[in-house]
Amino acid sequence: MVIGGSTNMDEDQVCPRCKTSKYRNPSMKLMVNVCGHPLCENCVNLLFAKGSGTCPQCDVPLRRNGFRVQLFEDAGVEKDIDIRRRILREFNKQEEEFATLREYNDYLEDVETIIYNLVNGIDVLATNKKIEAYKRDNRESIVRNRARGRTEEDELDEILQMENELNEERAREEQERLQAEKRNKVQKKEALIDELMTSYGDAKKIVASHTKVAEPEAPVAPKPRPKPTQFSSGVRIGGTRLPAVPIVPQDEGEPFVYAAPQLAMDGPAAPDSERLSADGYLSHIKRVGDAERAGGYAASLGCLRALQEGMAGLLFFPGADG
Amino acid sequence: MRLNVDGLLVYFPYDYIYPEQFSYMLELKKGLDAKGHLVLEMPSGTGKTISLLSLIVSYMLERPLEITKLVYCSRTVPEIEKVLEELAKLNRFIEKQTGQKTKLVGLAVSSRKNLCIHPEVSQEREGKVVDSRCYGLTAGYVRARAARADTAAGDGDGADPVPTCQFFEQLEESGRDATLQAGIYSLDDLKHYGRERGWCPYFVARRAIQQANIIVYSYHYLLDPKIAEVVSKEIVQSSVVVFDEAHNIDNVCIDSMSVHINKRMLERCSNNISAMEKRIANLKETDAARLQDEYQRMVDGLRDAQMKRENNQLLANPVLPDQILQEAVPGNIRTAEHFLNFMKRLVEYLKMRLRVQHVVQESPAGFLKDIFNKICVDRKPLRFCAERLTSMIRTLELTDMADLSPLVLVSHFATLVSTYTKGFTIIVEPSDDKTPNVYNPILYFRCLDSSLAIKPVFERYQSVVITSGTLSPLDMYPKILDFHPVIITSFTMTLARPCILPMIVTKGNDQVTISSKFESREDPAVIRNYGNLLVDMVTAVPDGVVCFFTSYMYMESVVSSWYDQGIITQLQKHKLLFIETQDAAETSLALLNYIQACENGRGAVLLSVARGKVSEGVDFDHHLGRCVLMFGIPYMYTQSRILKARLEYLRDTFQIRENDFLTFDAVRHASQCVGRAMRGKTDYGIMVFADKRFQRSDKRTKLPLWIQEHLKDSMCNLSTEEAVQISKRWLRRMAQPFSRQDQLGISLLTLQQLQSEEMQNKMRERVTHRI
Repeated sequence: MVIGGSTNMDEDQVCPRCKTSKYRNPSMKLMVNVCGHPLCENCVNLLFAKGSGTCPQCDVPLRRNGFRVQLFEDAGVEKDIDIRRRILREFNKQEEEFATLREYNDYLEDVETIIYNLVNGIDVLATNKKIEAYKRDNRESIVRNRARGRTEEDELDEILQMENELNEERAREEQERLQAEKRNKVQKKEALIDELMTSYGDAKKIVASHTKVAEPEAPVAPKPRPKPTQFSSGVRIGGTRLPAVPIVPQDEGEPFVYAAPQLAMDGPAAPDSERLSADGYLSHIKRVGDAERAGGYAASLGCLRALQEGMAGLLFFPGADG
Repeated sequence: MRLNVDGLLVYFPYDYIYPEQFSYMLELKKGLDAKGHLVLEMPSGTGKTISLLSLIVSYMLERPLEITKLVYCSRTVPEIEKVLEELAKLNRFIEKQTGQKTKLVGLAVSSRKNLCIHPEVSQEREGKVVDSRCYGLTAGYVRARAARADTAAGDGDGADPVPTCQFFEQLEESGRDATLQAGIYSLDDLKHYGRERGWCPYFVARRAIQQANIIVYSYHYLLDPKIAEVVSKEIVQSSVVVFDEAHNIDNVCIDSMSVHINKRMLERCSNNISAMEKRIANLKETDAARLQDEYQRMVDGLRDAQMKRENNQLLANPVLPDQILQEAVPGNIRTAEHFLNFMKRLVEYLKMRLRVQHVVQESPAGFLKDIFNKICVDRKPLRFCAERLTSMIRTLELTDMADLSPLVLVSHFATLVSTYTKGFTIIVEPSDDKTPNVYNPILYFRCLDSSLAIKPVFERYQSVVITSGTLSPLDMYPKILDFHPVIITSFTMTLARPCILPMIVTKGNDQVTISSKFESREDPAVIRNYGNLLVDMVTAVPDGVVCFFTSYMYMESVVSSWYDQGIITQLQKHKLLFIETQDAAETSLALLNYIQACENGRGAVLLSVARGKVSEGVDFDHHLGRCVLMFGIPYMYTQSRILKARLEYLRDTFQIRENDFLTFDAVRHASQCVGRAMRGKTDYGIMVFADKRFQRSDKRTKLPLWIQEHLKDSMCNLSTEEAVQISKRWLRRMAQPFSRQDQLGISLLTLQQLQSEEMQNKMRERVTHRI
């Protein structure tokens, strides 16, 4: 560090109006507004007592509630970020909305140029017109994108959430381990005292045996199964965002075609349902009551079944080659 | 001699061979046959280097299609030189045996600082300055400007000639076919070669990388993604990579991916940015076409063709997935002004983050979210930051790289933080660990996963050999580096006499337990007993004695107590006393005098620190180190946030428990320290572990096998008095004359002895430890 130079960047801060420095007044806070010119807190209170006024450096009309604490050393950066925030609220298209990467990059550059122009006061009028035009043309997509949030931010949030979960898990494990250790210790102590009280053996031996037992420690507790954090489809439980990859339709193979099964009766064919009543088969079977008919049963069904069963296998000769 | 190793003809340039060298080659051969990775531990001083070189070079000669290249990575320049000496010897031997010139090209590659022969630039002392001055003379646009100036001067315009490097120019003139002839080139040979022909040795070496059969260079050329992409990108897949002295390889990996940023660097960044802004404004008036040209390249998304030019590749971006590199630079940092604006916001943001009063720890994801909320910067432009800055520097034709280094570092940080969301952490501390009371905020961007940096190496190359004298416990390395070796083996040392005497001293003469654990380390009784141990050993041991403490702070407090207790005076009756300090120059002076005192028989004690310079790079062979004392167990500073974060990561990702890793690290450093005394088979030395905790099995079993073998149970719980008695007896035995004849047939073999049936059987049994 240069001798004589300040060692703390905070001490370099000087209010341009009243020349108070951080060194003289450690509680001094520099504030900035949209124009990017800093003022200390006292000056702001003094100049903007009525709630609005002009910047002492550039005469831009300012409102008092527009002032906030200066975060960065360079007030120009402060202004840049102010404008950038405002612009990015409108220009919030995402990469997915462009057909090619090249178009997206061109768009990014346009946005950057607009910000650059506004910050440095180049063609402010034309630029503002451009912004207005853009707003008019893309009103819907702006609102939609605002509601949707940024993909990248979602990704980061997800990582952060996972990290947090991991940390919590770790803290819990640690605590459990400590508690178990404590419990163990107390138990052992009690066991020793119990034995000393009840046993008639040599006290020294008992103590020695217990200290020996105390040595081999740490039966590692089985790790609890990790909580499921994802559905099998890859969607996070409790997560709102859909997975980046669309669900791939599974290959289901050829559609099923019905083919009537060939029956091997090995016997004379049973009479078909029309001949049942005509040949009087039905008269030999129990009459169908109302209750059975309600269930969809008809006498012909039972009859046919009985006939088929009776005739199947009549002509089957074991040993004969079929 | 010519050996038959499992059916392979191996040229070995010495007349005698150690049995373990032969076993080592056997295992190495198996691993190479299987085209897999190996972890091999063999004690220092048993000729690892020559075994490795002999086997692999012979393998290359016999089966040139299977292995085309050997990449040998070592740590320091002296070590690299040693490897090349051995290699040259091997090459001469092979030539003598076969009676014809080999076609092998082997060379050392090092930084510009070690290879530059430019009369002015080579006078610079700092590597960074040499790099940047060289860049200022050889970059493509500088040369183009020089050419323009030349023609202008020819026209009689009288424009100032632009300085360039004549050596580089001559190399360029001789065209692409200016290659190295077959032979082995050490750094000095390269310089000599360059001077003879008027070629720049650095670029000759860089070009030779693709053509050479054997390359010897430092770890960073392969592990540091920023350098590896430039230097080692085109090394073929069928290469064998050897990491020698690899016991610290995980730390090298981690350091190569980590960045730390302090306030002063950010101030310099701001200056850099405003300088660049001026430059751009200037350029817009004079040569707007150039900016337009760059812009067009950005739009087209082509990677700059110029970038392929090797002399421009001083800056490369950190590792990025390839598909991103193919993509175009995002639109919002395409033009120069926008990008500078972007960097400005980034630097301001970092400045703001540095204004902390307490420690802040954050994950990369949290950081990215915050950076979007605060300065509206997306992840994508951050990812392209390093790439974009490189292009910008080239367009602006800036040559003072040393001056721009902080900005480059910030851009690397931006790229890394947005590329990796796992395996990294960000810690902002208001002050340094060393000076906790001075406000000096630092942002650490720390890699926690040592496997990240080395992963491309394992994936790309056919065989990777990790070897060192102290790699125990062997199974830790595959875990923390995340790879699957085909062979893990530890070799012990065959000895004709018990020339290592490891002892664990647990109590002083007054039966006080000695230990450096936190509760008792400031106890005057413990310190006194450490002192008495040292005094007694010093009385018994001739010549040099080296002591290692666990930290500088502990050493200072112990030495001041010793002074009060009169121990220092007692010590000085017997030997001179030298102390290692954090200042490198002071330490090397102390070392020099220590060596002098040992040489002339006065005897000396060196007090040094584990993990310090002495413990890593200095050998105390023969009389320079007859006894090494390790006072305490050199654990890492466990309160450090960075270490805590790494331990947590290791536990969650690799299921390594905190304690296991801490002990592993402490014991590897302890064995590294005591291993300093044994540098060969004729050497002998006492190793004293002075801490009660060493006798516990979890520490003892983690020591290297070659130490464990000699650490009998009777040596594990000694008091000071007993230890001194044992050493006296042992020293008397060791001081007897010892000739080669005594070793022959046991720990040293001739070809006939090696080929005998009995020895071959023994050899097969020797591989004692395999997983």
